[in-house]
Amino acid sequence: MKMRVVGSFVAAAAVAIVLAGPASAQTRAPANGSTPIPRAADGKPDLSGIWITGALQLQIGEEAANAILKADAAAGRPAPPPREPPPYNPAAEARRQAYLARRGIDDPMARCFLSGVPRITTRPLPFQIVQMPGQIIVLYEVHHAFRIIPTDGRPHPDDVDPSFLGDSVARWEGDTLVVDVIGFNEKTWLAGVGTIHSDKLHVTERYTRDSYDTIRYDVTMEDPEVFTKPWHQQETFRLRPNERIREYECIENNEDLLRFEKLLQNESLVKQPESR
Amino acid sequence: MKTLLNGAGVIAFVAALLLGTASLVAHHSFAAEYDSAKPVTVSGVVARIDWTNPHIHFYLDVKDDAGTTQWKFEGYPPNMLIRQGWKRDVTLKPGDSVTVFGWRARADPNLGAAREITFADGHKMAAGPPAGTGGQ
Repeated sequence: MKMRVVGSFVAAAAVAIVLAGPASAQTRAPANGSTPIPRAADGKPDLSGIWITGALQLQIGEEAANAILKADAAAGRPAPPPREPPPYNPAAEARRQAYLARRGIDDPMARCFLSGVPRITTRPLPFQIVQMPGQIIVLYEVHHAFRIIPTDGRPHPDDVDPSFLGDSVARWEGDTLVVDVIGFNEKTWLAGVGTIHSDKLHVTERYTRDSYDTIRYDVTMEDPEVFTKPWHQQETFRLRPNERIREYECIENNEDLLRFEKLLQNESLVKQPESR
Repeated sequence: MKTLLNGAGVIAFVAALLLGTASLVAHHSFAAEYDSAKPVTVSGVVARIDWTNPHIHFYLDVKDDAGTTQWKFEGYPPNMLIRQGWKRDVTLKPGDSVTVFGWRARADPNLGAAREITFADGHKMAAGPPAGTGGQ
């Protein structure tokens, strides 16, 4: 009986939100009630906090992950759009298919290489955003990595050295933080097995705190050498107020390299060995 | 309760569940090392636990008529286990009798990816990710 009363309340709340119609980011009712989104001294949304995204089940367990998704459904929160396949040109797609045929054995991530942008964001470990005047720091648990993102209007430096995470600068467009990232090396995958890119990769990330509990993350990847058009993805970040960032030293006991070597010695265990 | 949700909400919930499976890769593709078509359940006594990144490993002494075979299982990294309620040196200890459900490795006959551990008192804990990411 009690469940039914609660259920009715949730349904009524969902209807109320639907009836309220489209709302701006500032007025949209957050899932946990009416807590307004926090703002920094300059009036911009404050993105600070510890967040998780991607595979929630791996990070907080199946029960807690399902509770979040049920709360989304009860609040009428739309699910992210289906993932777009990467719009690779034929040559790049052929390379991706070869990596898929090898079941991801070549994944730089499995070798403990630092993930790039946006993959480092969707790795299933939390990250902390620290927003301060003139810059935003993102501290990623995975790889114990960080990004320092200037927000003071400075351009990219003129001596960018290609790197795993590239070089980031940001600006605000209304209440959305727009991060421009260039200067990547070619040693990372973007979002899953075989999602290669060139050093011409240009990533644009958009962070919008659309409720107290969530940030909508829209990312666009452009790369004239591998894509026929920009590749978009959208994720939802979930605030984890009682969390803390712990250490994650990937290379500590990475046995995968030896196991991959063993697999590759037996050609029958890989569908389509690739000459290297 | 679910039936009282509006249709769009249920669709969004189901869609979110499906989307969740699209990004299950933790450290490496499941399919790179393990075979989701070969589930395995093994009962034995915990011999050793390596509480390390990027995965924990634990060893299980499994007795049968032929003698004792040592199985090795890979699990989540420590931080994921801690956030799912595990405690180092408490939840799983050498000497514990457990049953492990998981999937076989492609190359090593006594290596597996652990999904769930059932303890002697019957309670279960998730130990590793679901199978079937298929290298996606």
